[in-house]
Amino acid sequence: MENITLTSSPTTPYFPEVSFDVDKGICEISGESYMEETYKFYLPLINWIKDYAKHIKKSLELNIKLIYLNTSSTKCILDILEILKDFEDEGGKVKVNWYYDKSDPDMVEEVEDFEAESGMKIELIEFE
Amino acid sequence: MVDTNTVSTMTSKTILSYNGPFYIELISVFGTNIRNFNDAYSNARKKLFKIFIELSQNVSNYSENFHMVNNVQRIGVGELSLKEFDTAYSFTTKNQVKKTDAEILTERCELVNASDQMKLRELKREQRLNSPGEKFGARIGLIQAVMLSKNKLEYKVDKINEDFSYFSLTVTIDKY
Repeated sequence: MENITLTSSPTTPYFPEVSFDVDKGICEISGESYMEETYKFYLPLINWIKDYAKHIKKSLELNIKLIYLNTSSTKCILDILEILKDFEDEGGKVKVNWYYDKSDPDMVEEVEDFEAESGMKIELIEFE
Repeated sequence: MVDTNTVSTMTSKTILSYNGPFYIELISVFGTNIRNFNDAYSNARKKLFKIFIELSQNVSNYSENFHMVNNVQRIGVGELSLKEFDTAYSFTTKNQVKKTDAEILTERCELVNASDQMKLRELKREQRLNSPGEKFGARIGLIQAVMLSKNKLEYKVDKINEDFSYFSLTVTIDKY
């Protein structure tokens, strides 16, 4: 398995920055997410997590630091959380942290909905 | 049809007006400007930005009048208008839809407008879990717009011919 590293650019702020590291078992998605063809962007990330759960089977930490994500992106994030929940139910060790801006209360509600829909525990952490 | 827009008779200032293809590059530049054009009403502008992106992407994804880019990518054509009033912002999109889709959209707007925040949250969860995903997205943009603005959707269908109509949608975002 290879790492995934996608850097953000000021000219395409609708793509988030992505870092999925196999050796560390840490995945990070940050910035903003409102690209076209959302599923096409997220599919490799979804497949990476599926492969990790199937073949690597070590602990996995997901850190989400998205300031904004559109509703299409929320569907893909939910898909990721559901895969992580399945991994956890099969004995995998998973931790999900969601970093949020305290001046954006709507995001807290969104994360609560993700928890309820996926069954995955999400740690809410304020941005420093 | 709903017409609860009490700000419509007040003095307004047009912040943005556009008619054409809704390219993501344009949506992004407009959205960034909306979020950053001044320091006032920062909470309202955060909500406005989110609603702006959702409704603009609806036009881009679903307008029946569209441009093809490189014979592959379909970019919807439509109109948008953003106005500022003393106490609120008003954001409107307008695009061409099939007559049958106008009926579906009208029903969705009626359902959303008849729901309180708790019911909207339930609808959003239900719709997101059951959406087919992939190219169709989550199909919860209208619910999200009302949950964020806490105001009802104003919508209008204007017949073009036997097959197509214009669908206009307005969301009001209070400044306070």
